[in-house]
Amino acid sequence: MFAFLVRRVFAGVIMLIVMSLVVFGLFFASPVDVAAFACGKNCSPAIKEQTRKALGYDDPTLVQWKDFMVGIAKGREYPNDPELREAAPQLVASCDAPCFGYSQVNSRTVNEEISKAFPITVSLAVVALIIWLTVGIALGCIAALTKGSFLDRGLVGISLVFYAFPTFFIGLLLLKFVSIKWGLWDIPEYTSIADGGVGAWLYNLILPSVTLAVVFMAAYVRMTRAFVLEAMSEDYIRTAHSKGLSRGRVLRKHTLRAALTPLVTMAGLDFAGLLGGAIITEYVFNFNGLGKLAVDANQNYDLPTIIGLVVLAASFVILMNIIVDVLYAVIDPRVRLG
Amino acid sequence: MTTSVTPAATSAGTAAETFLSVRDLMVHFPTSDGLVKSVDGLSFDLQRGQTLGIVGESGSGKSVSSMAIMGLHWGTGAKISGQIVLDGTDLLELTPDQMRRKRGQDVAMIFQDPLSAMHPYFTVGNQIMEAYQVHNDVSKGDAKKRAIEMLDRVGIPNPDRRFSDYPHQFSGGMRQRAMIAMGLINNPGLLIADEPTTALDVTVQAQILDLLQDLQREFNSAIIIITHDLGVVAEMADDVLVMYAGRAVEHGPCRELLTHPEMPYTWGLLSSVPDVTGDTDARLIPIPGSPPSLLNPPTGCAFHPRCLHRDKVPGDLCRTTMPDLVPGQRGAHHTKRCHLADSDSIYQTEVLPEIAPDLAEEPAGPLVGEAPEEQR
Amino acid sequence: MASKKKRMLAVTAGALLASTVLAACGSGDDDKKSEGAGETGGTLYFNVEKPIDHWDPQRTYVGTDISKQSRLVYRELVTFGTSEDAVESAKPLPDLATDTGTASDGGKVWQFTLRDGVKWEDGSDITCEDLKYGLSRNFATDVIVGGPAFYILSYLDIPADADGTPQYKGPYTKKGQDLFDKAVTCDGKTITYNFNKPWPDFNLAIAALHFASPYRAEKDQGDKSNYSVFSSGPYKLEGTWEKESGGTFVRNPEYDKATDDTDSRNALPDKIVFKMGTKLETTYDAILANKGDAACTVSDNRLPPSKFSEIPNVQDRYQNPDSPYADYLWFNTKKLPLEVRQALAMATNREGWIAAGGGERAYTPAYSVVNPAVAGYKEVPTYKDIPLAGDPDAAKKILDEAGIKTPYKIEIRYPQSETADKQAAALKDTWDKAGFTVTLSPEGDVYYSNIQKPDHNYDVGWAGWGADWPSPMTVLPPLFDSRANIQGGSLGQDYGKYEGKAFNDKITEAQNATDLDTQITLLQEADQILADDMVYMPLEIAKFNWVTGKNVDFHTTPGSNSFPDLGLIGLRNGGC
Repeated sequence: MFAFLVRRVFAGVIMLIVMSLVVFGLFFASPVDVAAFACGKNCSPAIKEQTRKALGYDDPTLVQWKDFMVGIAKGREYPNDPELREAAPQLVASCDAPCFGYSQVNSRTVNEEISKAFPITVSLAVVALIIWLTVGIALGCIAALTKGSFLDRGLVGISLVFYAFPTFFIGLLLLKFVSIKWGLWDIPEYTSIADGGVGAWLYNLILPSVTLAVVFMAAYVRMTRAFVLEAMSEDYIRTAHSKGLSRGRVLRKHTLRAALTPLVTMAGLDFAGLLGGAIITEYVFNFNGLGKLAVDANQNYDLPTIIGLVVLAASFVILMNIIVDVLYAVIDPRVRLG
Repeated sequence: MTTSVTPAATSAGTAAETFLSVRDLMVHFPTSDGLVKSVDGLSFDLQRGQTLGIVGESGSGKSVSSMAIMGLHWGTGAKISGQIVLDGTDLLELTPDQMRRKRGQDVAMIFQDPLSAMHPYFTVGNQIMEAYQVHNDVSKGDAKKRAIEMLDRVGIPNPDRRFSDYPHQFSGGMRQRAMIAMGLINNPGLLIADEPTTALDVTVQAQILDLLQDLQREFNSAIIIITHDLGVVAEMADDVLVMYAGRAVEHGPCRELLTHPEMPYTWGLLSSVPDVTGDTDARLIPIPGSPPSLLNPPTGCAFHPRCLHRDKVPGDLCRTTMPDLVPGQRGAHHTKRCHLADSDSIYQTEVLPEIAPDLAEEPAGPLVGEAPEEQR
Repeated sequence: MASKKKRMLAVTAGALLASTVLAACGSGDDDKKSEGAGETGGTLYFNVEKPIDHWDPQRTYVGTDISKQSRLVYRELVTFGTSEDAVESAKPLPDLATDTGTASDGGKVWQFTLRDGVKWEDGSDITCEDLKYGLSRNFATDVIVGGPAFYILSYLDIPADADGTPQYKGPYTKKGQDLFDKAVTCDGKTITYNFNKPWPDFNLAIAALHFASPYRAEKDQGDKSNYSVFSSGPYKLEGTWEKESGGTFVRNPEYDKATDDTDSRNALPDKIVFKMGTKLETTYDAILANKGDAACTVSDNRLPPSKFSEIPNVQDRYQNPDSPYADYLWFNTKKLPLEVRQALAMATNREGWIAAGGGERAYTPAYSVVNPAVAGYKEVPTYKDIPLAGDPDAAKKILDEAGIKTPYKIEIRYPQSETADKQAAALKDTWDKAGFTVTLSPEGDVYYSNIQKPDHNYDVGWAGWGADWPSPMTVLPPLFDSRANIQGGSLGQDYGKYEGKAFNDKITEAQNATDLDTQITLLQEADQILADDMVYMPLEIAKFNWVTGKNVDFHTTPGSNSFPDLGLIGLRNGGC
């Protein structure tokens, strides 16, 4: 187990390093002149170069990447120009390790950006996860247990429809009708638990979480149904029945245990993906989580933020993969890590 | 039509009390393509301490009928009729919950592949314990003690340690022993063993069969052993029931039926058994064709399309008329579903020389029964 | 990565458009039926979809943001008033200064004197040093980026380095500080600016852009101060500004109305809450549905055309002023012969273009690349003479007389959108009739970066521009002076690669003019030269469509660049 963890973490770190290098390469391989973009109108070549320096893009790509890696390991100070830092200490923004960089576009360190956005994304992801797992698994079980009935067909049909719905469409629909037209629910504005208590936090999270959960829910209804049906046809379920166990007990103990194991993997990876930011939902509901941060960073060509978010999101996926593997070994005694 | 309610006499021949009595059992599955008659008019009796072997190809209805006895057909849409009287109670008249209480308690079942029949995520001990707890209001500790006891009884070494192993940590034979422990933990009157040795190594098969016989003696259980292996039947069974296309086609005491089979399908089964000790002239003759569709069973005798002897029956009777299950030439205790008049002599003169030339001269010799013994 | 590139360039295009500062004839809606004037008090909500880039005055270049700053928190030496009249509104009013400034030495020296009693939000006086420090920040081009420093860097009398940039490098490194101290001097409350060439409308420039805004040195942390607001106006920021979510402005007790002679800061609401990020569709859905706070909500994101059908229901709170921009077609003068350009212009169907783009709520026809709100705007007769629907026959005649073989192949470039496709199709229609074979070549969001390349070989393309302050000086030279665009400066904004000696000479003459009237006349002549050389063809002036919450007494003026004028807006009916 320990050797497994060490190996996986090591491989993950290598992957992150390579990935960061690739992002740097792609960013600067783009035909777009980032400095001209930031400089805007009436921009002379000399001013453009100064802008490039201000953005921290004046060094060769590899040097910038090296600085980034050093920042991750040891922390960094901005602006990049040591002369400027010495002449005007009031300008210095220090960024402790692991420093993802300083976003000139947002005028703060990427670490600050992430620490502001992360709780929002996590809140959204957790509430959505709870919604889609409970509802999705419950409905999936109902569909499986009533296989072939109208209820089953209805559930499968509806989930197919929802699955085909684009998330932004569901979000806009909820906003437009539930919040604005019918006034059933205030337009959500993220409120942290510290600011508004659990009630306000949850109240504001419901609509976006539902939006986010719907597509997953639809997928999980169908997956749960398939896995439960598959499990129900297993010999060991017949064995359980032949022992005289009640249907409920067989379902709860034997069938679900087998059916939900693959769901754990999927839920883990889906959740990890969301921790990188629920882009569309956050955008539609104006929740300033990592997803919206990423969209804005892309639109503004904000490399430090992009790279920070890529590394962060990738870390979540890698980490969650490891966790899921470990979890799998816990759930399924046949699996041995090694 | 064909469902003659002739009770098959037991080989014991005494008036022992009937423990399980199946009468005119039908298990039909309505499908979008039509009605599938998986079991159609099956009747047999079984007494405590006795073993009935049910043989037949896959799809002949042997497993479906045992599942009906277990009451495990709910949710499949099966239409079940007839009677399954176990120890005076008609199981088909019980509520689902009453039936559930009987499952595992009065009638237990062990399955073909013990690996897939045991839940991979729970320990062997947990699964055995569970079978005990569901019918007995006992503490966890007592249930565990009982489970370890049973593991010990079925011959698993270090049972208290193996108790917490997972099924994949057991060998195939050990798993089947554990399954048997699970089936017998409540001391059921009836044990149904569905192909209990098929998935096992040959060397392990015999141990398992021995174990079953030992336990049967100890608990005085009735056993139904479902198999396509006539060797297993010869080893285990007191009575044999041959099924084809959902119906019993031959029924009688084991030795009688194996030495004087009267139904061409049974001949076919016997021809398909390799005889390891037999001489090299003996031929393995597979039954031609494939099992019939249960949706559109053949007219007349369901076996007639594959039967090599149907032209010995006059008037195209095999194709037009379903024969009844009636006593054959050798007495009321041996019933067959076949129009052939002198089937015994056809067997002795035409079939036996082909499959066991060395035995053909001694018509009454103990022939096939020996083959499985060699398999041990 | 591909999609990232696209988005980013979309913003480039938008930014070029949006960073036009001066507005125009905010031809307020005549039908405006006011339900009642705004009252003092209440909370106004201001929704903005995209985050505001800067609150740092020296870095702000977006018209609506400059207007917000002027009306709420940053007082300038001079500022624009709230007149709805184009000519009147383009006159600077004394704000922190006692008058609108005194020019001498032919416009090369400007002097302003600070009023008494003007204070920062901490109660300290606004000093000449603050003005000087604010201006000095423009020179730290590696820290203070994104703003309109371009002008002061080229005008202020500081020797240039080899790369053409001033030898003064700003207040952080203080390199060349003595040069700056010589160019900008303080004498008590009087500040003197020395330029290397005449700048006859310098006071217009500092009313329109905030590069000369005062800045308190000890509050300056460079980029870290980007969202700090140190107010001198009637409001101050409560707490901090969060880029993604906004901030709240409350009254600034240190602001003394008695020191403010302008009509620019009625400051009616007690509180102004800026909400960032709400999708504009959501904002307008709420405004149109009158839900909760929406009744007290204003946005500087325009009403989307998809909601134009709702306008009749909200006529009493709807305004439709002209934007401060102008859209035009540029012609590749290096590739297309003059007669071809003239024929294209003659057959340009502005009517069809406007109709395809949303009709008269969306556009009004243009007769120059200069927006009518710019002081000294003059219709160019050449463009006035071309029928709005275009004249394909006349165009054909031009081609025939010049002996140009038809059909003549033309490719038109524009940033792709559903609307733009329809509009381009309208152009193609009449151009084809005139003897051209037109291919539509819509481009993704790389459009602007492609046409800025000096070596492109395109025929015709779309572009838009707005003046930085109400002078053609901020329109014609940046767009068509080959010395700034092709040689030397390389602004890259002369998409048609025009090199006109006569035009350049006129510009030089205008730049050296010591009084404004002369300068403007010269620029009008320059515009006519462009028309004679058929360098561009004006299309239209976009119009803004504003709808506000029903309790908002809404105003938009040329002084606020046709965006919501926070100097006048108040709440009525008791607010929300």
